[in-house]
Amino acid sequence: MTSEKVIHEKVYLLPSTADEAIALASKFAARSGESGNSFRFLAGGTDVMPNRFQGNDTTVHLIDLTRLHELRSITMVTTSSEDRYLRIGALETLEDTARNPLVREEFPMLAEAALSVASPLIRTSATIGGNILCENRCLFYNQSEWWRASVGYCLKCDGDICIATGGKKACFSELVSDTAPALIALDADIEWQDMMGVRRQKLEEIYTGDGATPRNLPQTALVLAIYLPLGRRFKTAFFKLRERESLDFTSLTSAVSLDATGNLKVSLAGVDPKPVVVTGHITDNKDDLIKQALRQSRAIDNDMYSRTYRREMIRVYLTKSFDKLTVYTNGYTQPI
Amino acid sequence: MEIIRLTVNGVPHEVAVSPHDTLARVLRERLRLTGTKIGCEQGSCGACTVIINEKAVQSCITPVMRLDDANITTIEGVAQGEHLHELQRHFVEKGAIQCGYCTPGMVITALDFVSKNPNPTVKEIQESLSGNLCRCTGYKKIIEAVAAYASGKVVNTSENKYAMLGHGRPSIEAVKKVRGAADYADDIEVKHALYCVLLRSPHPHARIASINVEKALALPGVRAVITGKDLPISFGVLPISQDETAMAVEKTRYIGEAVAAVAAETEKIAREACTLIAVDYVPLRPFFDMKESCEDVGHDEKIHAHCKFNNNIQKKAELRFGNQREGLDAAAHTVKEEFHFQGVTHGFTEPHAATAWWDENGLTIITATQVPHYLHRYLAKVLEVPMNRVRVIKPYVGGGFGGKSDPFPHELIVSQLSRITGRPVKIRFSREEVFLSNHGRHPTTMTVEMGMSDDGIFEALDADVIIDGGAYGSFGVVTTYYNGVLLQAPYILQNFGFRTRRVYTNKPQCGAMRGHGAVNSRFAVETLIDRLAERINIDPCELRLKNFLSENTTTIGQYRITSNGSAECLRSVMERSDWKNKYKQLPEGEGIGVACGFFISGSALPIHWNEYPQSVVHLKVDMDGRVVVSSGASDIGQGSDTMLAIIVAETLGLSLDNIFVVAADTTLTPIDLGSYSSRVTFMAGNAAKMAAENLREKVIQAVAVIENVEQSELHLAEERIFSNNKTVNLTWFEAVERATRKVGALTVSGYYNSPKLGGDFKGAGAGLSPSYSFGAVIAQVTVDNASGQIKVTGMWGAHDVGKAINPLAVEGQLEGSWHMGLGQALSEEMKFRDGLLLNGNFIDYKIPTAKDTPLFDVSIVESADPEGPYGAKECGEGALHPVLPAVANAIYDAVGVRVTSLPITSETLLNAIKAQKQQPISSGIDQTVEEVL
Repeated sequence: MTSEKVIHEKVYLLPSTADEAIALASKFAARSGESGNSFRFLAGGTDVMPNRFQGNDTTVHLIDLTRLHELRSITMVTTSSEDRYLRIGALETLEDTARNPLVREEFPMLAEAALSVASPLIRTSATIGGNILCENRCLFYNQSEWWRASVGYCLKCDGDICIATGGKKACFSELVSDTAPALIALDADIEWQDMMGVRRQKLEEIYTGDGATPRNLPQTALVLAIYLPLGRRFKTAFFKLRERESLDFTSLTSAVSLDATGNLKVSLAGVDPKPVVVTGHITDNKDDLIKQALRQSRAIDNDMYSRTYRREMIRVYLTKSFDKLTVYTNGYTQPI
Repeated sequence: MEIIRLTVNGVPHEVAVSPHDTLARVLRERLRLTGTKIGCEQGSCGACTVIINEKAVQSCITPVMRLDDANITTIEGVAQGEHLHELQRHFVEKGAIQCGYCTPGMVITALDFVSKNPNPTVKEIQESLSGNLCRCTGYKKIIEAVAAYASGKVVNTSENKYAMLGHGRPSIEAVKKVRGAADYADDIEVKHALYCVLLRSPHPHARIASINVEKALALPGVRAVITGKDLPISFGVLPISQDETAMAVEKTRYIGEAVAAVAAETEKIAREACTLIAVDYVPLRPFFDMKESCEDVGHDEKIHAHCKFNNNIQKKAELRFGNQREGLDAAAHTVKEEFHFQGVTHGFTEPHAATAWWDENGLTIITATQVPHYLHRYLAKVLEVPMNRVRVIKPYVGGGFGGKSDPFPHELIVSQLSRITGRPVKIRFSREEVFLSNHGRHPTTMTVEMGMSDDGIFEALDADVIIDGGAYGSFGVVTTYYNGVLLQAPYILQNFGFRTRRVYTNKPQCGAMRGHGAVNSRFAVETLIDRLAERINIDPCELRLKNFLSENTTTIGQYRITSNGSAECLRSVMERSDWKNKYKQLPEGEGIGVACGFFISGSALPIHWNEYPQSVVHLKVDMDGRVVVSSGASDIGQGSDTMLAIIVAETLGLSLDNIFVVAADTTLTPIDLGSYSSRVTFMAGNAAKMAAENLREKVIQAVAVIENVEQSELHLAEERIFSNNKTVNLTWFEAVERATRKVGALTVSGYYNSPKLGGDFKGAGAGLSPSYSFGAVIAQVTVDNASGQIKVTGMWGAHDVGKAINPLAVEGQLEGSWHMGLGQALSEEMKFRDGLLLNGNFIDYKIPTAKDTPLFDVSIVESADPEGPYGAKECGEGALHPVLPAVANAIYDAVGVRVTSLPITSETLLNAIKAQKQQPISSGIDQTVEEVL
């Protein structure tokens, strides 16, 4: 018997604390002059593992997060400024998140979004942290190594041009998280930690809009939790465009919230490398809001649906959302 | 390598694993627990589902290293010893198992779900199973099994074991499948086997200037590398289109075509070796569009040199009966429309797999095939060995639907690699490779025109069809005819004609797929009939009833129609769906539609012209009393082994305890032509019946002599042989003992030959069948006008199957056909760009899930076919035909829009709605891509 030729020593690491995980990550993070990290954090694995099967992820160090029990809890927290939040640990599964009574009571749109992801079999493993970080997708990228070599590699896999657009110098792979737009519409914060410490910021701030490098978190950043503001008494509308009622990635996810003071927040996924975010007021001209959303949506023909249809559906879903929400006038405490 | 501890089904293991291994691979390859199936390796089909620490997960995307000390339950651990788990018993009892490849995952998923949701609604069950794809059952029987289990029902086992014909029963291998014990091609481990990986072309149309395999051969662990020149003899399932080679020889004709093959010690080495093969391609002008392929190529190179003219037309078929032009001119009402159909593929859950080896008996190959016999022929031809040195064995097959009914390049390749390495060679396709192999339904463009008199009598039908065959012939010449000839029923037509052209394009080849050849043209005709009904303001069901062919008649193209349950089928679905109170009366956005269809019950002409019977069955009974049924028929999940067993048991008055089926092994079993053209029940069933009658006669003869009674006095029932006056009253065992005295084991044979049928014009043989099946479907839909999204809310189907030998299996075939038709109608398509398949996976190729599939209402109509075995005929393909147009007609009833291209995705429908209203499909911000970017 001939032994297999060893190219890189594959390593699987199972830290038991966040500190340990980040320390490991920093060992394998890209140094200057290197093209990328040689590690990947692995939570549920439902996104990373198919990408590894396709050869889109070939990192040799897998850092498994499933033993980080500290990242698994859903609790009410009060900050120093007396603001109350629902804190969802990043390793909560989509299934557990959706079934959590606090989530269902306070943020039913998040439950709806979580339950719209993939299939029940995926949702029992997939985590909320993993879903907001799930890799951008494109019909011309989510393919096997052989396939991508056949067309010439695209920008997202070390090629020079975007194949989907026939030669653009930017990557338009789509953000396909369903929970991210819901969370953003609900004004969520993300909390992450790296070697420098813990930081919290608006969730939408982590997305770059560049499909090839869709997030700007530091290389070793580990997402700890999501914070959702309590007491805003959101009314919401959520839609997901897909041909089948299960399994499919989104072709357009639309999440719209209205708070008690009449503030509207629109967040879309599936039509741009980053979430499309539009804010306004319930009294604003709705068509203007829709136009803003459309102008921001850099959808291209890289999905089973055409860009034309997905853009049309932005209007359809937002119109439906506004229709649902405008039964509330300025501050929905008094429905008209 | 790392050592991890896993407790699997209560057994502790210490396993050496590679750090990035998935659980599925470790279970299958290290622990040899092959009940866990691999269908996609991307978490998109659910076949690999296992329970880990009380949670159902897909093991193909679960890294094994995270499972140290985990408790894992695989399908092998679900039953308690010999006792099936109650859920498994319900799966068996309800007929929830056909090919069985999705079954382990389904059972595990359902087990986990019910344990957490003890009182589920049907909707919740559909949701829970929506990550597990099944291509055979249409989910209904699976849902019923889960519901029955959840309700606490206990399976009743007090069935009458002698009740055979017409009594629904689980297939004979259902228990083995539900335990995960049935071995499919990739589950079979042949000692010391090498692994084969194919290098595939990245070019749609290119000359191969050179191939350098030196570096690949030099890689340690590589045992052989072969290219097209090593297997240059052409083949093809039809003798008239031997246009394919095992690998590209001088040029490659589609992206994905095999150009070289490696056999190595491990899969990983073989994959790496493929990357070391240097192929120098010289690109040629590619052809992707079927209309373009009809045109002169000028100075460019044709895809195949053998095309008659300077274009890429492979085959033109044209038949005309009566006079279409006069018929249309005389018709008071005519309708004409152009239709477009995307290609669809079979989507069976088991990827192709095969292992071949050579020994003192020559070549043996175990492979997932529907047609061992044709493979047998072409292995002999391409490898240049006599047929007596080739043995093809079909193991359990995880679905086929036509997609495993050609001899395949990889089967020839592993056989050759095994010959030159002296080692067994194994191959297993990835899901992407299954898509690239295709052989699915042809993308089609057609113009169809129909004429009708004022009183609603069809006067004429004319069809002009182009089908896109892809790079090679496959069954395409048959498909070319079927697109036309299979329109001459189920309605009376005096003026009927068609022209079909099959063209080559630089895409994976198309071939036979469930409902072969007539699905798309049936859609066109049934849509036009709906329009004609509207013209004279008649109920479309009534219009169809006025025009049906009767039984015992002949069509214009000289098809002999014997039994015919068309009208009964249609009346049944009308009544069950409450058609009269719904049609044109449902609220805006809801609609109901109808369509009918018919199909052959086995092709009367064999593919290879010879006088050998189309099916032969041998029976052997020895002193143990057990009747061994030996047949070449290929059970691919549809239940043909069980059908044979029932027919033999019925004829001999036995229970299945005394029947043993040996099937689909070209050395051990007599030839059956294979599982295609819906021929098996009719042909192998008739052969089995004849064989059983012969055995019956032999036993009766012997007993009559020994017991000194008249033969006519003797009867067989309930495993006894007795005379009218009971002076003779023997058990079957005693009777066999008497019959085998002095002569030993009894062997008998039965066979089936089609009667001489049809006209004597060229093309008269196409679509000839000893019998035809008929069916009708009514679909109900809800449509969202703003988005175009469609929900099928109800489907009622009826199919004339002659006689349901096993009603449980028949229902399963019908429900599966309707499910597959629904997929083509609404969501499935093979999407290409420049010849490259964009959606070769189960995420983007959208097979309906349990949530997308309505609970079908099934009517079995029995017209008692005069020549079918006990009156039986086809049920596995024809039922698919009416589904697609019924859905489209329902959409018309809902929103008043005719859609003439498939699939009718929400986008397609919204476009059609907008086109009708003359509105542009636009968001209102007409930015071009350029502007946005």
